Amino acid sequence: MLILFAIFALLIISGALVTILAQNAVHAALGLVGTLLSLAVVYVMLEAHFIASVQVIVYAGAIMVLFLFVIMLLDAARPVKSENPIPFVNEIAGGAAALVSGAMVFLVVNYKDPKPLEAAAAALQGGAPGPVGENLFTQFLLPFEAVSIVLLVAVVGAVALVQRPETKDEELPEYSGQMDGARVRPPSSLAGTALTLEHYEDSPNPIPSSSELKPKLETAKLEAAKLKAGGAL
Amino acid sequence: MIPTAAVLALSAILFSIGLVGAMVRRTAVMVFLSVELMLNAANLLLVAFARAWGDLVAQSAVFIVMTLAAAEVAIGLAIIVAIFRKRVSTNVDDLAELRG
Repeated sequence: MLILFAIFALLIISGALVTILAQNAVHAALGLVGTLLSLAVVYVMLEAHFIASVQVIVYAGAIMVLFLFVIMLLDAARPVKSENPIPFVNEIAGGAAALVSGAMVFLVVNYKDPKPLEAAAAALQGGAPGPVGENLFTQFLLPFEAVSIVLLVAVVGAVALVQRPETKDEELPEYSGQMDGARVRPPSSLAGTALTLEHYEDSPNPIPSSSELKPKLETAKLEAAKLKAGGAL
Repeated sequence: MIPTAAVLALSAILFSIGLVGAMVRRTAVMVFLSVELMLNAANLLLVAFARAWGDLVAQSAVFIVMTLAAAEVAIGLAIIVAIFRKRVSTNVDDLAELRG
């Protein structure tokens, strides 16, 4: 049992590390799926069978599918290249994590089970749907009903947020930076100046006609070199 | 029987990883994934303590937390999609001001 727990704990931690370290958001989401499924196994070991099945169905199933939908819808799989504006963010995050871990280590070292573990675990009846549901519909009735209202509000809110507003054409957002190929393509009248041609060569998505422009680029570069030489003189 | 302290340690590691991810990553979706990690660390703690005390109340609480997480994800991802439509960006630093 303990060996099994160690194996799945390793799986949970490695999945979490993949989640926060992966450059591609799809890989990160799949790492989180691995973490959630391994967590479900640990829940079974901890006498929570109903919670484990809900974890697989709701978390690893529904929520992660929603995540993957949005990642692919927004083309968010590409990493954001910008620098983090918070100074020393890595050090601050490391310090915060160390603080939390330190506090938890203190708790773990001083932890004593309030009851003998075997007897307490037996009282859970394996966390089967029956006992958990009984508790949910007696002691937790008010939170249960409140959560149903929260879910209704979430559904209405999500639909209201994502609904396309009836905009006129000029109000449509500008697609800056999203379509590199389209943005770099200059009007045909610009072809011939050294600046645009060099821009062509450096752009990650060279347009198909760049081979035709190459001779012009050579002459333009020559001219630029001549100009530079003239300036030096 | 898995000792409760071992589960606590695992939960602490999971929470710390999620915390670092939420602070360091710059994509809104990735920040959300890290928040999910932290929520799951808390759930793991609740399940461990439910077994330690022999009380099903904590397991019911985990059920409620999972439902709330689902609602939160639906709203949060809808907000991300709405912002993306307006700004064509998923970088959280592009949303530093309060004006729409």
